[in-house]
Amino acid sequence: MAEFVERHTDSVYAYVRHRLLPRTDLVDDVVQDVFLAALEGLGRFTGESSLRVWLLGIARHKVEDYYRARLREPESVSELDHDLLAAGDFPRLEEMIDRERVEEKTSDILRQLPETYSVALLWRYWELRSTKDMAASTGKTEKAIERILARARAHFRQLWEGK
Amino acid sequence: MDPDRFFLTLATSSDPSERVVDRAPARLKSRIYSALVSCQASIGPLLSLSETKAAGRGLCVFESALCVVPAGERLNSLNPCRVCHARVLGERLESAPIFWRHCPYAEFHRK
Repeated sequence: MAEFVERHTDSVYAYVRHRLLPRTDLVDDVVQDVFLAALEGLGRFTGESSLRVWLLGIARHKVEDYYRARLREPESVSELDHDLLAAGDFPRLEEMIDRERVEEKTSDILRQLPETYSVALLWRYWELRSTKDMAASTGKTEKAIERILARARAHFRQLWEGK
Repeated sequence: MDPDRFFLTLATSSDPSERVVDRAPARLKSRIYSALVSCQASIGPLLSLSETKAAGRGLCVFESALCVVPAGERLNSLNPCRVCHARVLGERLESAPIFWRHCPYAEFHRK
């Protein structure tokens, strides 16, 4: 058991931490849940994939449970300028060569955003889930998800540009 | 830049697979280990200490002491870590001062 924990916690932790940013306070509990779910479901592990891949699959589901719960909550949206939502092109990222700075700035902004917005962006762009999938998972309409995403992108942009 | 492209580029440029893997804190490993053992103990008796030893896992000083107490198999299958101060320190401190051999908590903190 100790060897199992020692061998696999780092990769599950890295995955969950990255996926839950900026909510690092939740990481420990989610990682622990992954291992408890794995122990309960060990009988279902067929050995077709490696144990690590299987654990990361459970971790992905746990993170999605979190995303789903956040997006299901009623939207508490701050009023955004209509002009901001309708604003034109986003800045060109290629111009920002310093990758570390981009990462740091991204996670800073995600941390500042209302949780619903950061979750929506993470789910859509980092997890590459379609709006249709997100709608089906949360019981919202695709239009509602699009609306959340539009507001999330506008908020993000506002902070990115330092307004 | 198109908003979708902007965010997809951002996501790619912060892909965790290209980053140095974060190490989980030793106290989290300790917590997970304790939770797994408790969960296992709630389902049924744990392997006895003698079986554990026979399976190749060394016993810590307290487990070894328990082995020589003539208290029967039931005590032998209890989870002694539950009442051990190494567990308490291991779950709460990073780099906890626990050093004895064959203690899983000490192992987590040594690495």
